[in-house]
Amino acid sequence: MTDEALNDLTEFHWMMDMLQTVDVGLVVLNREFQINLWNGFMESHSGLLPSQVRGKSLFTLFPEVNESWFRNKARPVFELKNRAFIIWEQRPYLLKFPNYRPITGTEDFMYQNITLSPLISTTGKVDNICMMIYDVTDVAVGKKVLESAQVTLSELNEKVAERKRLA
Amino acid sequence: MYSVLICDDSLVARKQVAKCLPEEWEVAVHFAKHGQEAITALREGKGQLLLLDLNMPVMDGYQVLEAIQEQKLPTKVIVISGDIQPEAHQRVKRLGALEFIEKPVKPAALETLLQQHRILESDGEEDKPELANLDPEIRDIYQEITNIAMGQAGDHLARILNVFVKLPIPNVNLIEASELHMMLQDIEDKDTVSGICQGFVGPGICGEALFILSDSSFNDVAKILNISEEVDDQMQLELLMDAANILIGTCLNGLASQLDMHFSQGHPEVLGQHRNITELININKTRWRRTLAIELSYGLEGYQVHCDLVLLVTEESMETMNNKLSHLLED
Repeated sequence: MTDEALNDLTEFHWMMDMLQTVDVGLVVLNREFQINLWNGFMESHSGLLPSQVRGKSLFTLFPEVNESWFRNKARPVFELKNRAFIIWEQRPYLLKFPNYRPITGTEDFMYQNITLSPLISTTGKVDNICMMIYDVTDVAVGKKVLESAQVTLSELNEKVAERKRLA
Repeated sequence: MYSVLICDDSLVARKQVAKCLPEEWEVAVHFAKHGQEAITALREGKGQLLLLDLNMPVMDGYQVLEAIQEQKLPTKVIVISGDIQPEAHQRVKRLGALEFIEKPVKPAALETLLQQHRILESDGEEDKPELANLDPEIRDIYQEITNIAMGQAGDHLARILNVFVKLPIPNVNLIEASELHMMLQDIEDKDTVSGICQGFVGPGICGEALFILSDSSFNDVAKILNISEEVDDQMQLELLMDAANILIGTCLNGLASQLDMHFSQGHPEVLGQHRNITELININKTRWRRTLAIELSYGLEGYQVHCDLVLLVTEESMETMNNKLSHLLED
């Protein structure tokens, strides 16, 4: 093997290693929503091995996903080569992954932001899309705490105003 | 260049004030002998800053302040007077003066005030005529590439939604933080619109896309997207996100391909729902003064759908964009 080819191979190996260990869920889905790639994040949080999910439909593996809703979200990605974003405010999660921080985690499940991104094949068509799942539990919890603090504050303000009115 | 107008009936006083201006400050200094002259000069755009004496013949300082308010003349006023009564102090502030300095003026005191009110930083760039000075050729190019991007986006939308999209004429402008603030305030005040913002970044270019949908559009958007469920708050958010995804995405894709680059998009943020818009802008106020805004207003034929897409690009990004687009500038 030439040095160059060896280098390419090493780089490819690193690349795969990074995809495997990055703290973001990576899934490749084809037009039938069958799973082609399932990285380490997905494996750890779902407990399903890549070999268990490969070629299987996302909807059969995860019945909690509303099929027609998800197909609607993915349609512009396949047809327009457009990215689609789903934020936790819309749906707290796409795939229900349990809380994995037994001590400091306060929620029962992982809040998720989802990005669907087109993967353009050599023919210029989109036959597969990449789904990225971000863990935004801490953000969601922070916002919820902030909101409840705001509600408490405005309630207190109202009480003070009420008292002043009566006095 | 920033212009300063010094209005005093005494020649000595005018010279003294002029000498007190910070040395390194490059400004055009104009003079007026009394209020009437000052107003004339202001109307001619000479005097983004007015250093005003109070006691003068023909028209005194109070009358000048009143006239500025009445005629809404764009100037900042610092009163310089020997009249040190507290009442004079309060009166001029009520009439819109920024500050009151006692005569004789000390350079250090004036400089501190100018710094406090950020007048020194402005360098005249906040000057309205200069602001509008987005090179017409550059504006044309931005408008053109947006048009092309829109054409592609319109085609995409028409294909996926089966609707005819009335293509907007992009409005390209340099706007100031305060103007954007006003625009966003409008969203917050009216409960009748919803918004999404999304950051995007490419090599040397970064900005934010702002998508605003009027609430009256939701029912028709639901129809277009084939949604039969009742349109409640949750559904509105879904529709808002779907529409924003398609419009922001197609427009950015179109622009990116013409700039021969690729934009990364961050997670969208719902405006107003979870974040107070005023706060959002206030925090960032110091980081930028002006931004390039490309505004697009969409309508769909046969539907009551109105939405606005605003692409805000930082001033620094314009350099990269101009480089990338320089081939369009030639010949």
